[in-house]
Amino acid sequence: MRWLLLPLLLLAACSKGPEADLPYISQARSLAAEWALINEQASQGKLTPTYIETMRKSVREQLQTSAKALSEPQSGYAKEIQAVLKEPDGARPEELRAHAARLKQVEDSLESA
Amino acid sequence: MNPLELTLGIMTAVGGFVDISELVFAAKAGSMFGYALIWAFVLGTIGMSVFGEMSGRVAAIAKQPVFNLMRHRLGLKLGLVTLIGSLISTLITCAAEVGGMALILNYLTGLPYPLLAVASVIVVSASMWVLPFKWIERTYGLLGLMMIVFAVAVVAIHPPWAKLIGGAVPQVPSGLSSKELLNYSYFIVAILSAVLFPYESYFYSSGGIEEGWGAKDLLTNRVTCTVGFGLGSLLAISILAASAQLFGPLNVGPEIPGTSALEAAIPFGRVGLMLALLGMLFAVAGAAVETCMSNAYAVSQFFGWEWGRHAKPWEAPRFTLAWIAVMLLALLIVLTGVDVMSLVEYAVLFSIIVLPLTYLPLMLLANDKSYMREHANKWLAKGLGWLFFVIVTCAAIAAIPLYLLTSGGSG
Repeated sequence: MRWLLLPLLLLAACSKGPEADLPYISQARSLAAEWALINEQASQGKLTPTYIETMRKSVREQLQTSAKALSEPQSGYAKEIQAVLKEPDGARPEELRAHAARLKQVEDSLESA
Repeated sequence: MNPLELTLGIMTAVGGFVDISELVFAAKAGSMFGYALIWAFVLGTIGMSVFGEMSGRVAAIAKQPVFNLMRHRLGLKLGLVTLIGSLISTLITCAAEVGGMALILNYLTGLPYPLLAVASVIVVSASMWVLPFKWIERTYGLLGLMMIVFAVAVVAIHPPWAKLIGGAVPQVPSGLSSKELLNYSYFIVAILSAVLFPYESYFYSSGGIEEGWGAKDLLTNRVTCTVGFGLGSLLAISILAASAQLFGPLNVGPEIPGTSALEAAIPFGRVGLMLALLGMLFAVAGAAVETCMSNAYAVSQFFGWEWGRHAKPWEAPRFTLAWIAVMLLALLIVLTGVDVMSLVEYAVLFSIIVLPLTYLPLMLLANDKSYMREHANKWLAKGLGWLFFVIVTCAAIAAIPLYLLTSGGSG
């Protein structure tokens, strides 16, 4: 059985391109959605200012890490992640959710490919 | 059995059950697979109750700590391999907890993360130096009870109860692609590892010896392991359920540990947020203490040094130096800037690999009538013990391939 697993492991370790970028696209999609949720709850006065500020900072840092890790920086999904990063801290939740939805579409299409 | 002591013991077990790995994996599992992974927490908790009860009983009757057993049962070479594996996995877990504390404090205060990591280590180490064992355990366990806000939040958000309860039945959700199926399998392994972390039984059984348990404490041990761990697990399940209800439909991962606190903020506002963050902070701090002391217990017991917090720190100098060294090493790991989420991934991965080797000698001794007399494992404990040994061995074999194939559950 082990010899069957080996090619799979090598494939997973060596793959490049959109397939290899999938974890980062998925991470960026979640981060955009988390940011939207934070801004939505913040607008309802349910969060403390310190929490809002530190969470937004964490989201930005993680998004930057995801963007840098992409093997195809000129792809459509890379541009979408850059677009999320250009949003202001207090961006409207709808805007951020639209980015998340577009990244989710890319994710789904790559997963089904 | 003193009812006050018993209640405090149960409450401590509840508040001390959740750590940073459970926080992360429960929230992620809920958002990715809805309620379908609740059973993994239930299964892991039954396993934890079985092995916890066994380690407490061995401590009470045979007066043998886990690593002393390991050296005698596995022999010096294999025992040493297990010791090194356990030390590495528990050190990584300790670093994840220290990083988790700093992150949560960062959400509370906004101060720089490295400064908060240093401050956390100083405060936690001071509490370990000053407090006697029982009060170290109780302080963090009881303060961790603030996490009950997650259970109340689940009730407040009106989840689909039938689906939630149905999640306790082992299942493979229909319609998963092969990639999602691999991710689902990875999460089963990760959750089992996070619930069954080996340090928990080292700490629990060493604590039993510290407190001078005997045959009279067997009932307390059994009730703490079943009721205490069971109720503690409900907190982790609450995080999963709230995530399934609130995060899943919004495409939230969550990728940041602080996002879990929104589960309490959404229904209860700032009060909910603060209770969630403080509960998480104390639960994670308690786990940092447990992991740090577990490594000191392990190495001291293995080499036969004087150990324990029943003695003054200078009366067991090598034990004291060991826990200080573990805490400093954990801090150094955090200060390298490694991401807490990555530390959590490595912690569950390494822990599941060493888990079978730590449970085997414990089970062999608990089965041995020459040590345990009439308190040796009966058919139920024996059957469950072997069943969980097979489960954790399968999980240990599958862990690395699944981690690589799924990029740690994210791809």
